[in-house]
Amino acid sequence: MSEAIEGDRTFADKFPEEARVVRAALLGSFLALTLGAVFGIIQTLHRTGVFRGLISSTDYYTSLTAHGVFLALSFTTFFLVGLFTWAVVRSLDRPVIDIRITWTWYGLMAAGMTMTGISILAGFVNELDMSADVLFTFYAPLQAHPMFYAGLAVFIVGSWIAGADYFRTWLAWKRENPDERIPLQTFMVLTTMAMWYIASSAVAASVLIFLLPWSLGLIDQVNPTLTRTLFWFFGHPVVYFWLMPAYLLWYTVLPKIAGGRLFSDPLARVVFVLFLLLSTPVGIHHQYLDPGIAEGFKFISMTNTMFLLLPSLLTAFTVVASVEYGARQRGGTGLLGWLTDLPWRDPAFTGMMLAGLMFAAGGFSGMVNAGMNINYMIHNTIWVPGHFHLTVGTAVALTFMAATYWLWPQITNKPIYSRAIGLVQVVVWFVGMALMSNAMHAQGILGVPRRTAEPEYSGFDYPTMFGGFEELNIQIAIGGTLLFVSTVLFIGNLVLTMGNPKISGLAEELPPALSGPDDAPRVLDNLRLWVGIAVTLVVLAYALPLAAIINRGGLLGPGVGTFPVWLTPVLDALANGAAAVVGGVVDASASLAEVVG
Amino acid sequence: MGRNETAHASAEDVGGETEEFDPIGTLTLIAIYFAILVVSWVYIYYIEFLGRDLVIVG
Amino acid sequence: MHIHAYEKLWLAASVLLILFLLGSVTYGAVGPGVAMVSDSEPAIDAGALDEDDRFSEPRVEQVGENEYAAYVVARQFGFQPDPIVVPANSTVTFYVTSADVIHGFEVAGTNANTMVVPGEVSEITVETDGPAEYGIVCNEYCGAAHHAMEGKLEVVSQSAYEERASGGDGE
Ligand code: HEM
Ligand SMILES: [Cu+2]
Ligand SMILES: [Cu+2]
Repeated sequence: MSEAIEGDRTFADKFPEEARVVRAALLGSFLALTLGAVFGIIQTLHRTGVFRGLISSTDYYTSLTAHGVFLALSFTTFFLVGLFTWAVVRSLDRPVIDIRITWTWYGLMAAGMTMTGISILAGFVNELDMSADVLFTFYAPLQAHPMFYAGLAVFIVGSWIAGADYFRTWLAWKRENPDERIPLQTFMVLTTMAMWYIASSAVAASVLIFLLPWSLGLIDQVNPTLTRTLFWFFGHPVVYFWLMPAYLLWYTVLPKIAGGRLFSDPLARVVFVLFLLLSTPVGIHHQYLDPGIAEGFKFISMTNTMFLLLPSLLTAFTVVASVEYGARQRGGTGLLGWLTDLPWRDPAFTGMMLAGLMFAAGGFSGMVNAGMNINYMIHNTIWVPGHFHLTVGTAVALTFMAATYWLWPQITNKPIYSRAIGLVQVVVWFVGMALMSNAMHAQGILGVPRRTAEPEYSGFDYPTMFGGFEELNIQIAIGGTLLFVSTVLFIGNLVLTMGNPKISGLAEELPPALSGPDDAPRVLDNLRLWVGIAVTLVVLAYALPLAAIINRGGLLGPGVGTFPVWLTPVLDALANGAAAVVGGVVDASASLAEVVG
Repeated sequence: MGRNETAHASAEDVGGETEEFDPIGTLTLIAIYFAILVVSWVYIYYIEFLGRDLVIVG
Repeated sequence: MHIHAYEKLWLAASVLLILFLLGSVTYGAVGPGVAMVSDSEPAIDAGALDEDDRFSEPRVEQVGENEYAAYVVARQFGFQPDPIVVPANSTVTFYVTSADVIHGFEVAGTNANTMVVPGEVSEITVETDGPAEYGIVCNEYCGAAHHAMEGKLEVVSQSAYEERASGGDGE
């Protein structure tokens, strides 16, 4: 392969060190996906009542915590850091500054997630005095084992170093290329990471200042509204942290696979700047139904949220137009006839397109979630998981899987084992998610709660609309099963791919945009400016609400207790012990009475 | 792969095409999407949500 | 910066859509008068609910002509009082607080839904129609038996309500 000419060399040929990191990150991500899918199918069958034999309803919450953390935090973030490493190195066409730093952040992230993962999974083992059944939102005053929080902190610090790695690599490139525009992919990575620093600062503060010391017993109590607000300060932008790498793929890779090129580079930059500015000052929309937060703050958050629709709506246009351009290049004609001239047999293409279609549907339920007062109708019902399985669970997850079919050969020099299986896999995911998510939305409108092991109640029945509760349960179970099958196909295909021999000729070029970066105003590349504005907006949106929350409840909360989930086994053991003693006494006195009698 | 996008995207490279391509199919699709969004929203907000029992009024 | 005419059109349509959504929510607030749970109630000591005159004895109370207050405590894993009995065609304000962790209070299939946070009191006012029975579910994970946490809301006729109230059967 060393003889191969420049353009025919894959990423793995040109940057073998970096390719190794990208592979490691992707493999970490797929491990998390596998675990998450196992818990996903277990809980789907459990909550729908189809099969409850595998875990108890108490362990349901251990499973749900694992599913949420492994998929929403681990699968997404590991894929993202791998993808970003590829994107930065590829688009700058230079290696990272120091590969040891790259391995350091990878190691930290892996170590952190392992700690958190162990603390969660230990919840299945009653003998272990460790548990973190607090779900991925870890609302105080439910308290997890300290290792859960410590692991999260280490993981986040690792991601910060990853961000620094990208920035430093870019700065080095900038010194070498002083007058060049930031290449689009690098621009996307840098804006995403800048957003991430702002967003994750709050959850890091919440964990390090409050939750970890509290779980270690150093402070007695915390303010639940404050830690919840700090979580959502992070919790909304994190959904864009998942989404922006998917957008990166839709903007820069999808048009190429479609046979065309990006419609507009400047608009892509505008979209990422809008995300940087607007992703964070909106988190209070997750707290529309919280007491202790004034209605005015909620309204401001809603307004920001609604404008945050703009970058996504613009993306829909730009991406579809880029694909249409590809179709027309391939000879497509007619108003919509060009749709048939697209490479639908390519799993990478079809997967990303289906992911985008699902995202359009998710856009609608997202608008409902964002509409302050209509939130009464669906808040904390299963509608909400219905929504985000369309967004992160498909728009992001399916895009990542589809992109893997395109990217993996370039970081390994091995062709995908079976593209046909890949095609089946992405379609099965789409069908499964359509069933599961649709039924979840419908159940949500009936009032069926999320995060509930047995959502059928003894005292009442749900109203019937769009099919009854039971019927919708069947749909959810079938959909969840298809999703699980799809995950197995994906992982199986990838494992078989690893057994393929290395070949050459897998290199792919990414074409420049129709309207290139020279059309983009220079100011778009002024990251300092955008970060400055982003921070200002965040301060404007959060200073008053946070001050009000602290003012009402105090930094450490208005007389709230501590409810460690991880001490339950100990307490149970104590209770059992006590029961045994009491039982013994009762038995003894009974026999005594007999003797006496 | 490799060479960064900026290096490629000189005006001559793509220039004229920009003006020629009118994504009319995209405009059609997105107009359909827009219509679906508006109709669904009207249904869910004005009929489903405001029509339910126990509207919070204070 | 070059933006295609179609894309400008779409941008304008998007902004209109956003304004339409914001307009709908605002209409809901001023037309039918939908109000948000907010900071209307002062913070409270979750550890000392038994010393609080509203929550030491969770109950429904008449507070005005055809106006009622329901003082509700959510705790692992149930609601008090249970059932909550209120008269039909009246205005009922729920004051819901938690004695321990975060819970939810959702009257299933209706718009009555709020978070219940220890240290805070959620205040929501509804107008009841005719007699009906609703289930109440806790829709926020609150611990190992979260799925068992349910309650009932009974909207009964005015006369039945008075009978039950004067009968003093401990609602
Ligand atoms: C094998 C495919 C999957 C299945 C069968 C599945 C199933 C489910 C179900 C039934 C729930 C709701 C449980 C409840 O609220 O009681 C759930 C929750 C959730 N899922 Fe999935 N899911 C899958 C894939 C994914 C993916 C790919 C992601 C994200 C990348 C994801 C993220 C989540 C999150 C964040 C929650 C919420 C956890 C919580 O409420 O704490 N899921 N999943
Ligand atoms: Cu959000
Ligand atoms: Cu609960």
